[in-house]
Amino acid sequence: MCDFSVRLVAWMDRELPDNEAADVERHLRDCSECQGRVDAYEEVGRAFVGYWDAAMEVKTHRRLSPWLPLLSGAAVAAAVLFIVFQPGSVKQIPAPPLVAVASPAIVLETEPRPDKRVHRRHWIAPMKTPDANWALPEPAIQIAIPLEAMFPPGAVPEGITFIAEVSMAADGSVQGLRLQR
Amino acid sequence: MSGDSLPLPLPLARFAADSCEATTLYRELRKPLLRYLLCLGLSADEAQDVVQDAFVSLHQHLAAGGPQENIRSWLFRVAHNGARNRQHSYDRRFGKALHPDFDSIADEATPEQAVLEKEKFRRLGKAILLLTESERGCLLLRAGGLRYREIAEVLGIPTSTVSETVDRTVKKLAEKCNV
Repeated sequence: MCDFSVRLVAWMDRELPDNEAADVERHLRDCSECQGRVDAYEEVGRAFVGYWDAAMEVKTHRRLSPWLPLLSGAAVAAAVLFIVFQPGSVKQIPAPPLVAVASPAIVLETEPRPDKRVHRRHWIAPMKTPDANWALPEPAIQIAIPLEAMFPPGAVPEGITFIAEVSMAADGSVQGLRLQR
Repeated sequence: MSGDSLPLPLPLARFAADSCEATTLYRELRKPLLRYLLCLGLSADEAQDVVQDAFVSLHQHLAAGGPQENIRSWLFRVAHNGARNRQHSYDRRFGKALHPDFDSIADEATPEQAVLEKEKFRRLGKAILLLTESERGCLLLRAGGLRYREIAEVLGIPTSTVSETVDRTVKKLAEKCNV
């Protein structure tokens, strides 16, 4: 064995001072035995570490592998649920047309609410704008009012009578008044 | 030895107070420790536990003002003792640990590469089975970056014995595996 073998170990451990380390490095260039030893250390050490790293990976993989199918399935299910129920991607269900809501069947099933306006329209037609051809569809109430109560004495010749057509608002106030001979 | 297995200076001055130093040390030594414990026959879970316990012990050691010299060998020694305490059926576990099934590795390689890789591991595994416990421990600690005298401290044997053991182991594996 080469005399440098002991110093070679110290050199590999980086425990030699610089000047002695330089001696060993010079020796390595000339001594194939020591160089082969260093190479064998490196190659065997690398293979040995690689073996145990692979064993470590196998053990970790084996420890996880029984759970992998279950975890994978759960991940896929979670992804599907997320995609389906993601707020931004929800497919809007078209709302039914309003016609369907107001279908006759539904209307018939509900109690008709009394609509005062419709009822009053039937009773007294609404008066929106003054109209020259305005006329009540039918006289609802006829009230006889003496002329003396409406005009000053002597203002209306005798023998003349008037018919007053009065339209009433919903609150009972007078909406219109027309006198006819 | 491989370049990354050579001993590196450890930043330990403020380990107990500085979490960054602790993180650096943990990252540097965690994998070599796990590898060594796996070599001793622990399962992956047990090895993780032992490594964690070792670093907790290190924190307590330094927080109590313990010496900061040779922390690397100190950690390996603590882990080594922790592994021994956990090994109630050491021989059975050791035999099992040396026969990992490499069929599931190298999935990313081509089929030819995978076959060669597995064949190399099987050949190396057979050669490792022929080593003694001391030879395996010495070589793995050496590959983990420990100096010979540090390996001697971990295993409690003379440094000269470590040197002879490592030399012998390297020769055996080089002959058997043509590496």
